[in-house]
Amino acid sequence: MATEYGQGYGLDSGSGFPGSTERRHRLPTALRAPVEGRTWRELAHVLLSLPVGILMFTYAVTMVSLGAGLLVTFLGIPVLAAALAGCRGFGALERTRARTLLGLEVGEPEPLRMTKPGAMAWMGAVLKSGVSWRALLYAVVQLPWAVFSFAVALHVWLLGWALLTYPLWFWALPMHAGPDGLQLYGDGTHRIYLDNPFEITVTALVGLLFTIAAPWLVRALTMVDRLLVHGLLGPSRLASRVVELESDRGVVVDTAAADLRRIERDLHDGAQARLVALAMDLGLAKEKLQEDPRAAARMVDEAHGEVKTALQELRDLARGIHPAVLTDRGLDAALSAVASRCTVPVRVEVDLAERPAPAIEGIAYFTVSELLQNISKHARATWAGVEVWRTEDRLMLQVVDNGVGGADVSGGSGLAGLVDRLDAVDGILVVDSPTGGPTRVTAELPWRGAHMR
Amino acid sequence: MLDPSYGWARSRCGLRTGGIGLWGPDIVEDRVRVVIAEDSVLLREGLTRLLTDRGHDVVAGVGDGEALIKTITELDAQGELPDVVVADVRMPPTHTDEGVRAAVQLRRAHPGLGVLVLSQYVEERYATELLAGSSRGVGYLLKDRVADVREFVDAVVRVAEGGTALDPEVVAQLLGRSRKQDVLAGLTPREREVLGLMAEGRTNSAVARQLVVSDGAVEKHVSNIFLKLGLSPSEGDHRRVLAVLTYLNS
Repeated sequence: MATEYGQGYGLDSGSGFPGSTERRHRLPTALRAPVEGRTWRELAHVLLSLPVGILMFTYAVTMVSLGAGLLVTFLGIPVLAAALAGCRGFGALERTRARTLLGLEVGEPEPLRMTKPGAMAWMGAVLKSGVSWRALLYAVVQLPWAVFSFAVALHVWLLGWALLTYPLWFWALPMHAGPDGLQLYGDGTHRIYLDNPFEITVTALVGLLFTIAAPWLVRALTMVDRLLVHGLLGPSRLASRVVELESDRGVVVDTAAADLRRIERDLHDGAQARLVALAMDLGLAKEKLQEDPRAAARMVDEAHGEVKTALQELRDLARGIHPAVLTDRGLDAALSAVASRCTVPVRVEVDLAERPAPAIEGIAYFTVSELLQNISKHARATWAGVEVWRTEDRLMLQVVDNGVGGADVSGGSGLAGLVDRLDAVDGILVVDSPTGGPTRVTAELPWRGAHMR
Repeated sequence: MLDPSYGWARSRCGLRTGGIGLWGPDIVEDRVRVVIAEDSVLLREGLTRLLTDRGHDVVAGVGDGEALIKTITELDAQGELPDVVVADVRMPPTHTDEGVRAAVQLRRAHPGLGVLVLSQYVEERYATELLAGSSRGVGYLLKDRVADVREFVDAVVRVAEGGTALDPEVVAQLLGRSRKQDVLAGLTPREREVLGLMAEGRTNSAVARQLVVSDGAVEKHVSNIFLKLGLSPSEGDHRRVLAVLTYLNS
C-alpha cells in the first residue's frame, strides 16, 4: 500500500473495468470500441438515465413543493423529510447504477447521525444532513442532462448504425414499394437519391465514422454523469477525511491497547514470575536457616541469581516501554544504543539540527528499533546502515542492509504493524526488498518541532 | 477496611511464638498427593521443591489446563486420584482463565478433589465461580503467598483435606463490594476481623489463635455476626464460609 504513491485517489475516470485496457486484441481499439461490453453498458446507462431522471425529478419537485407549501402547517416538515429521504433512496439507486454500468468507484456517503431514536429525531437528522440536500440537488440537475445526453447518444448511435447498414437494407427492401433509397435533397423539382454504388459506399463510410465516434461520444457524455454522481452522491471530502481519521484513531487505540497487553504479559511471565520464585526460594531458605544452614546458603545463592535476572528483565522491559536515553539525549544517542545491540555492525547517521516532537521521536525510534530487530532476526546481513534526516516538513528515516531481502509489508509481519503505526500519524513506510537483497526501508514522518513540549 | 495482609502477618507472629502449625492441631500434616498445573517452568519447579521439601508428594506437573484435566482423568482411572490440584489461573493457550475453568470442571467431575488456584491477581469474580455450589476443598490464593512457605503448604494441606483457603485480598474485595454495607457497618471492628478470618476459611480455634483470644470469645463473636447478618448459625466450617460468602455476594 505504501509504495503506491498517489494511486487510488480522486475520480477513477479512466478504465472503470480493470484489465480492459491491458488485453491485446487483433482489432485496433477504435474498431473494437463500438461492440465492447463497456460501451454497451455506458449506452445503457445513458438511455436509462432518462426514465430514471424523469421519475426522480417528478418525485423530488412534487414532494418538495408539497412540503414547502405545507410548511405553514405542521405537516410540512414530515413531508419535506420524506421527500429528502426519498431523494437519498434515489441517490443509493443511482450510485448502484453508476457502479454497475459505469464501473465508477464511489463510496457510500456518511450515514444519518441520529442522537436519539424516534421519528422526530429521524426527521431532524434527515433535514440536517448535507447528503439529503445534495441528493435533492442531484435529482433536479440530473434530468436536463439526461434529456440532452439521451437525445444526443441515441441519435448519433442510430444514425451511425443506420448509415453503416445502408447497403444492406438498400438491397433488402423492395425497390418498388417506395422511393429509390435515401433522399439526400429534395424540393419541387430536384430529388437526389443515394442509389448508385459510389453513393451507397460513401453513405456506409459516413455511417462507419459515426459508429466509431459514438462510443467516445457516449463515454464523454457519461463523464458528466460520473462527475454528478461522484460530486453530489458520494461522500463529501470532509466526510472522507473524517472516516480516514476515525480509522487512524482506531489503529492508535488498538496499538496502544496491544502495547499495554504486551507489557502486562511481559511483566506477568517475566519479572513477576521470577520475583515469585525468588520469594519462594527465600521463604524456603528462611525455613532452613536453623536446621540446615548449608542448604539455606545454597538457596540464598540461587535467589541472588534470580533477583539479578529479574532486574535484567525489568530493565529490558522498561527500555521497551520508553528508553530513557531517548528522552534525555534524543534520537542520535538512542539509535546508537539500539544499533549497538543489533547482531550486525550498524552505521548510524543522524543529521538533525533540532529535536522533533517527543511523539514523532518515539515513533521514529521504535521504527528503527523494529527494523534493526528484523535485520538481527531474518536478514542474515553483515552490515546495516541507519540514516535520519529532515527534508522540509518531513522526518526521513532509512534503514539499509545487505541481507537476503524478501521483506514484505503484507501479511501479519512486523512490517505491517509498522505501516499501521506510521499511517496513524500520516507517515509512510516504503519497503524495497528484492529477493537476494539488499533491503532498503524508508520511512517518512511529518515533522513536528519539540517546542510544543 | 480489612487490611489484606492482615491475616498473614498475624499468622507469622503466631508461628514464631507458638511454633505449632498455623491451623492448629485440627489439621495434621499428612503426606498429601499433589498435581501442579503451572506454565512457568521456574514456578512449577519451585512449587514442586517447596512441597516435596515439606514431605508431600508431587504426582505430576503439567503446563496447561487441558493437560491437567487429562492427567487427573488418567490418575482417577488408575484409582490414584490426587488429594489436591494446585493450578495457575493463566495458562496456555489463551493466557486468560484456563486455570479457573479447569478447576471448576474438575470440581464438578471429582467432588472429593481439592483445588487450589493460584494467581498473580485475585478477582472476586473468579472466587465466586470457584465457590459456586460448595466451598469444600477450594482454595484461591495470590501467588505471592508462596513466599510464606509454611502457610502456603498448610493451605495446600487444608484444601486437600476439604477445607477452604481464600486469600485475604479476595475476602477484602468481597467485603468491600458487598451491597450489604449498612449491615456490615453494624458490626464491631472485632466482629469484622472475625468475619474476615472466617471467610478466609479458618476454624474457630484458628481464629482464636490469630486474635489471641479464647475459643469461647470467638464463638460468641461468630454467633453475634450470624445474628446481625440474619444468617442461621450452621455447623461445619465449610458451610459457614459458604453462608458468609453467599451473604456478601448477594
